[in-house]
Amino acid sequence: MNEVRTFLLELHCEEIPARFLGPLTRDFSAAFEAWASSQGLGAGTLESFYSPRKLAWRGTLAAAQPNQTETQVGPPQRMCVDEAGRPTLQGQKFAEKWGVAFEAVRFEQPAGKKEPCAVLTLTKQGRPSVDLLAEALPGLIAGLHVPKAMRWGHSEFEFVRPIRNLLALFGTTVVPITVDGVQATNTTWGHRLFHHQVPEPVAIPTPEAYEAALEQAGVVVGVDTRRSRIAAQLEALAAEVGGRPVADAELLDTLAEIVEFPNIVRGDFPVNFLELPKEVLVTSLREHQKSFCIERADGELLPCFLTAANRTDDPEGFVKAGNEWVLKARLYDARFFFAADRKLELAARLEKLKMLTFQRELGSYYDKTGRVVALVKTLASRLSTDDEHIERATEAARLAKCDLRTLMVGEFPELQGIMGGEYLRHEGAHEEVWMAVKEHYRPIGAEDALPTSALGALLSLCDKLDTVVGCFAVGLIPSGSKDPLALRRAGQGLVRILWERGWALSPGDLIATALRVVGERATRPAGETAEALSAFFRDRVAYQLELAGYPGSVRRSALAAGWEDLADLKARCGALTAFAEDPRFASLAQSAKRIGNILKDEAPADRFNQEILQDPTEQALAFRLEVLEGTDDMGALLAALADLAQPLEAFFGSVMVKCEEPALRGARLSLLHRLRRAFLRLADFSLWQ
Amino acid sequence: MHIQELILRLQRFWADRGCLIGQPYDLEKGAGTMNPLTFFGALGPKPWNVAYVEPSRRPADGRYGENPFRVYKHLQFQVILKPSPARVQELYIESLEAMGIDFSKHDLRFEEDNWESPTLGAWGVGWQVVLDGMEISQFTYFQQVGGLDCRPVSAELTYGIERICMFLGGYDNIFDLVHGEVKTDDGVFPVTYGQMRQREEFELSAYSFEHADIDLHRSLFDAFEKEGWRLMKEHGHFLSAYEQALKMSHTFNVLDSRGAVSTTERPGIIKRVRDLACACAKAYLEFETTDLVARAAQQTRAKGGA
Repeated sequence: MNEVRTFLLELHCEEIPARFLGPLTRDFSAAFEAWASSQGLGAGTLESFYSPRKLAWRGTLAAAQPNQTETQVGPPQRMCVDEAGRPTLQGQKFAEKWGVAFEAVRFEQPAGKKEPCAVLTLTKQGRPSVDLLAEALPGLIAGLHVPKAMRWGHSEFEFVRPIRNLLALFGTTVVPITVDGVQATNTTWGHRLFHHQVPEPVAIPTPEAYEAALEQAGVVVGVDTRRSRIAAQLEALAAEVGGRPVADAELLDTLAEIVEFPNIVRGDFPVNFLELPKEVLVTSLREHQKSFCIERADGELLPCFLTAANRTDDPEGFVKAGNEWVLKARLYDARFFFAADRKLELAARLEKLKMLTFQRELGSYYDKTGRVVALVKTLASRLSTDDEHIERATEAARLAKCDLRTLMVGEFPELQGIMGGEYLRHEGAHEEVWMAVKEHYRPIGAEDALPTSALGALLSLCDKLDTVVGCFAVGLIPSGSKDPLALRRAGQGLVRILWERGWALSPGDLIATALRVVGERATRPAGETAEALSAFFRDRVAYQLELAGYPGSVRRSALAAGWEDLADLKARCGALTAFAEDPRFASLAQSAKRIGNILKDEAPADRFNQEILQDPTEQALAFRLEVLEGTDDMGALLAALADLAQPLEAFFGSVMVKCEEPALRGARLSLLHRLRRAFLRLADFSLWQ
Repeated sequence: MHIQELILRLQRFWADRGCLIGQPYDLEKGAGTMNPLTFFGALGPKPWNVAYVEPSRRPADGRYGENPFRVYKHLQFQVILKPSPARVQELYIESLEAMGIDFSKHDLRFEEDNWESPTLGAWGVGWQVVLDGMEISQFTYFQQVGGLDCRPVSAELTYGIERICMFLGGYDNIFDLVHGEVKTDDGVFPVTYGQMRQREEFELSAYSFEHADIDLHRSLFDAFEKEGWRLMKEHGHFLSAYEQALKMSHTFNVLDSRGAVSTTERPGIIKRVRDLACACAKAYLEFETTDLVARAAQQTRAKGGA
């Protein structure tokens, strides 16, 4: 017993879409591991492999299930044997029931019984793992969830792509399974090119020989191995021409997933295509040709590209020449778009935005542009008194969406904004204007940089504000995991901009302004919408605090004391974090909770007569109150609060707040009430812990 | 290689492997899939292998004959194999070899590219086939056509004829391709693609971007739709009704390239074409089924009588 063997399963299919390879191998591993441990075969983790045509797993399992013993208790001894010690009919039946001779029956008193009974110890033989595998594997394979499953030929079996070969080994034994008519063997197929010369399948004598045997047949079956080889080749080939690949982790993953043998090819493109904006080249190469651009240390592109080929060599240069040819065709198209788009002023497309729906109830992009212009005008005049600046902001808002009707953005939607900016730059627009248009979709994700220019930030803010507020106003509100319009992302971007820019614009104010601009298009009552938006933005602000890295205690207590003034919130969080480790705050938190409880059903007056106070501890507090209320600096306020911890403890130690004497009691409640108000300017310390 | 030589080799190759060689269908269409040989052929249980060339019109791709890589009309070579054979990828690779592509010197990949035709109510999964970085074919396992499940599943292979020719010959301009050679008593005259088609590209691009009468096309679209439903409802004629659906589809493409279709309108218009196409598919399948039953009954009677 305890003998272990290695298991290997490989599904060899027609080319599986790259995006499914990782999830499918992971899902099967999880299902298999759960099954193996439920069968008592050990809970070792599976190693997984994949390439475009292969999904494979390897791991060790016990050769057989362990034997299991179980005890069966039967009737009392007196009923099983007669006085002469001979078995009775009932005794014999008990032995028969479990398939043993009567001689195997023992008599002993089991726990919980009052007298000795017939007892049998039975051994259940563990089954060989290969049998269990043969029974379970077809179901585990068929049970894999495939997001876009297909059928093929006559079969009703559904899978990601047709399964053409099945390799299933347990040690050196083939696990006898059949999936959709394909019978398992100890062979598989290597690279297509390899089998061009070698018509026979590749024998895999043992699970351990798997990767080496496949590499001999032209397949590097580990995705990490392929990725690291590709990364090294990219660097080396770029260095040869004095550059480095333009970083793109996603593209690197893609290349590792679309080839069975990693080989990077470097090609050239005509130098005059470098007239195209860098973003266009990088996007065109990535989207159309899965190719990397090469940049110099100063960020300028070189007229070269890098792409992956699914073969070991390029004997006659066809692979390089082919990729160069296609790239030229693609760039020619990009250049055509770039030239054709510029024949017409960007602004001339404003009218055409009427044909482009933004959202059914909210109208076209033309309508949206109108709203964003109104918002930009209003907010720009709040942030600046420079008329020219306001004029430029309005101009940028007016032109921001025009590039949606350009050929280039039609071809590469991810270049929206960027192209509008580029075209305006070529038209000689003011730098502030074209820069703002170019940057106004930023930040696109949590990792993305914010607009660098103030105008870009304002335009981005207004665009996102209109999207979020408009959608809420027509009832498109994200819930749970459902957020098809990515409103949370837009809201987060908006909050990040406010946070980083420190503008004196409160979310509540922004919501009200944007709701006025949405006006008649709203389908829900404004009050309801404003409430939902307020909760939405509070969540976004809470997440922003998390992103900014403040400790939980700081976030909770600072947020509860108000979040509408983000600059103030930021200052409070900063000050609190500096003191977060100070032990006095733990004590302050206790006292704050206590104050909260005491004041729960009270409505004390603001003013009270200090003279009434008797105890020195409360007189000390009253004295400090003046200091607290007198300071505007968050740091100073915080220091004063920290100093309050000990006096508060002393106060609660010696004073009974709700005393019999009404005037004294009122004064004490007012004192606490005003102390709490002073706390709450900074944070709700009752939430500190 | 000359365009006509490539087509001839593909036809020979697929005829030798048990395909009927079909002909283009004489109505404007955006893709070879719309030919009834595929649209109806992919439906129902009967075995069906067919290959043919289909001139395909994409009004929005028109470039006035000025772009060396993009054209209003191109040639698709279309193969339907029903049921999809187990060796379908190998067969496809052999067809490339028949075109003269030496597989040992080139890079070949099958990259995910799922196909969907909202106007035909059809979709499938498959790949774009990439040779040395260039997409040369579309490879699809049909899952549904005309809104109906395909049982069995057909494999559809579509070769872009001009692209492959340009690629094999290293041409930088589609109009420099040689279609074939005219041999007369006076000598041999190679005829280029440009000589045959460049003016057509110019006029048809101008038509779809500038000259097509928008109001006329809107009313044509409505009229074709009405006619199609009349044929279906009053006569149960799915073939003539399907022609009306094809005309609707092309009319829509012209309106679209004229910039006359807003994004809100678009899904609704596509649905109108799809509804008619799906009705045709359903009627065809009903016809096929009753036809098969009738034939089987006839055979039984014939046997019984002997």
